[in-house]
Amino acid sequence: MTMIIAVGNTLRRDDGVAHRVLEMLAPLPGGATAKAVHQLTPELADYIKDCKRVLIIDADVDADEPCLQRMETAAALPRTSLGHVVPAAEVVSLARLLYGFSGEAWVCRLPVVDLGHGDVIAPETLTAAKSAALQIRHWLLQS
Amino acid sequence: MARRIEINPVTRIEGHAKISIFVDDSGKVESAQFHIVEFRGFEKFCEGRPFYEMPGLMSRICGICPVSHILSSAKAGDAILGVTVPPAAEKQRRLMNYAQVLQSHALSFFHLSSPDFLLGMDSDPKNRNIFGVAALDEDFARRGIRIRQFGQRVIEVLGGKRIHPSWGVAGGVLKQLAVSERDELLTWIPEATETMKIALGRFKSMLDGFKEEIQHVGNFPSLYMGTVNEDGYMDFYDGRLRFADGEGNIVADGLKPWRYETFIAEASEDWSYMKFPYYKSMGYPTGMYRVGPLARCNVVHATGTPVADKELREFRERRWVVRNESFLFHLARLIEMVHSVERMEELLTDPDILDEHIRGRADVNNNVGIGCTEAPRGTLFHHYEVDDDGLILRANLLIATAQNNLAMNKTIEQTAKHFVNPNKLTEGMLNRMEAAIRCYDPCLSCSTHAIGQMPLDIRLVAPDGTQLDRIVRE
Repeated sequence: MTMIIAVGNTLRRDDGVAHRVLEMLAPLPGGATAKAVHQLTPELADYIKDCKRVLIIDADVDADEPCLQRMETAAALPRTSLGHVVPAAEVVSLARLLYGFSGEAWVCRLPVVDLGHGDVIAPETLTAAKSAALQIRHWLLQS
Repeated sequence: MARRIEINPVTRIEGHAKISIFVDDSGKVESAQFHIVEFRGFEKFCEGRPFYEMPGLMSRICGICPVSHILSSAKAGDAILGVTVPPAAEKQRRLMNYAQVLQSHALSFFHLSSPDFLLGMDSDPKNRNIFGVAALDEDFARRGIRIRQFGQRVIEVLGGKRIHPSWGVAGGVLKQLAVSERDELLTWIPEATETMKIALGRFKSMLDGFKEEIQHVGNFPSLYMGTVNEDGYMDFYDGRLRFADGEGNIVADGLKPWRYETFIAEASEDWSYMKFPYYKSMGYPTGMYRVGPLARCNVVHATGTPVADKELREFRERRWVVRNESFLFHLARLIEMVHSVERMEELLTDPDILDEHIRGRADVNNNVGIGCTEAPRGTLFHHYEVDDDGLILRANLLIATAQNNLAMNKTIEQTAKHFVNPNKLTEGMLNRMEAAIRCYDPCLSCSTHAIGQMPLDIRLVAPDGTQLDRIVRE
């Protein structure tokens, strides 16, 4: 089973672009399932544990263009534990450690330009979203 | 030469927080400041929109405590309509609130703080995380995830989805609870009860190892504010506000939440964008008060549920407890989790919660609505002013983390004075500064309406701007 997780706040403009990508992909081919979340949290490790592949889509201010990358398993890096978000790699690593997840983990980072308050996605971000959706659809069909 | 040490998080958007530690010429920590850049974007964003949209909009401030915003917002809407919420709807709201507290506290304790407790504050940061906890005790780590899942499952069942459920509305709720759903949720109770017994027992057994932190991390007298019901018991959903001091003396009682502006004022400082709420009649900064788990355990006569009350009695009788130690926020948080599980069982076994009457309906009857509930981090106010068509003219949110702002600053200063050696910055010092903040479990997303992660960057900077030392935590 393939799971796609779209991360972001739909009222912070481009931060919600991952959810838009999910809409563009509907209906998901190949029997994939999807989950739309505001942020990544530890219990997602339990949801992905039985998946063969998982793809996390998220906005990223440092991304130049949308592309799919496979995540390598990484040990947790020392990081501040003030925020309530969990990095994508940590969700995957938790799944492997606690639940024996053995599937592939991928991430698609989308470049963004406007993170203000509102629900409108910037045109250039929408363009990136369409490109991402095409890449993901191709990836989904390769199973 | 006086120096300024900056702990400066780098974020990907406007909301961020930093800590500045000021060192005097003799090399001692003189003071510290916790800066939060508060950006009131959501309040401005809501102007001109119908009040009934507010629960859905405001819930998107945060992905950890959206339910709290939904509830306070819905209660503000209740006041605008001038309706009485049907009993089934109130019970659903209460159930949802307990689920919210449970899952939020679980994240704070199991994921953010337990690495310190189980592995030690000076342990290798490479291991001092949930992975280190899992390596030490896989079952404990899984239980932490499972109890959060329970809280989220309740939210999902009641609201249709676990994050930003479209369920709480002015006048009530949108969805009746089905018998099968209620029965499913009840099956989680035994495991949740067992998990809390384990977590509490584990944490209490470790407290002796943190005497220095208990003594020197945010240990100072202050006022405390929380909601109590008519019997003086803990109530996360409704009641009157009470102020107490660290000895349990009640300073003010029976305060109506919708009149919060008569007893809470906000001060400004030129070094922070965030305001500093204080208890008005005592002035600023003497009127500093704390909210949240420690405050609630201080102001109530009891929780009203047997197991939590047993723990609360023990909490109040422990030899070193004067109830002013910020470190004890963690113990108070666990007590609240026990209380929440007990109350959730009560509500789920109450047949009234299944009733089909779940919403009171009316038009705009009041141009001001103020809703107040106890969020995981403390008292949360949503204040809306609307025109006769129900369009928002002004919205004001008083967030729990903001109310703890003064106390967090004092906590940072006290912690820095005891634990930070400006001549030799170590990772353990950085961790204790973070641990001081973690006591309050601040929701910086709510306070700043920010998104993204907040790594910390501690810098030792000479007055001429030269970087002398640096520790970065991504």
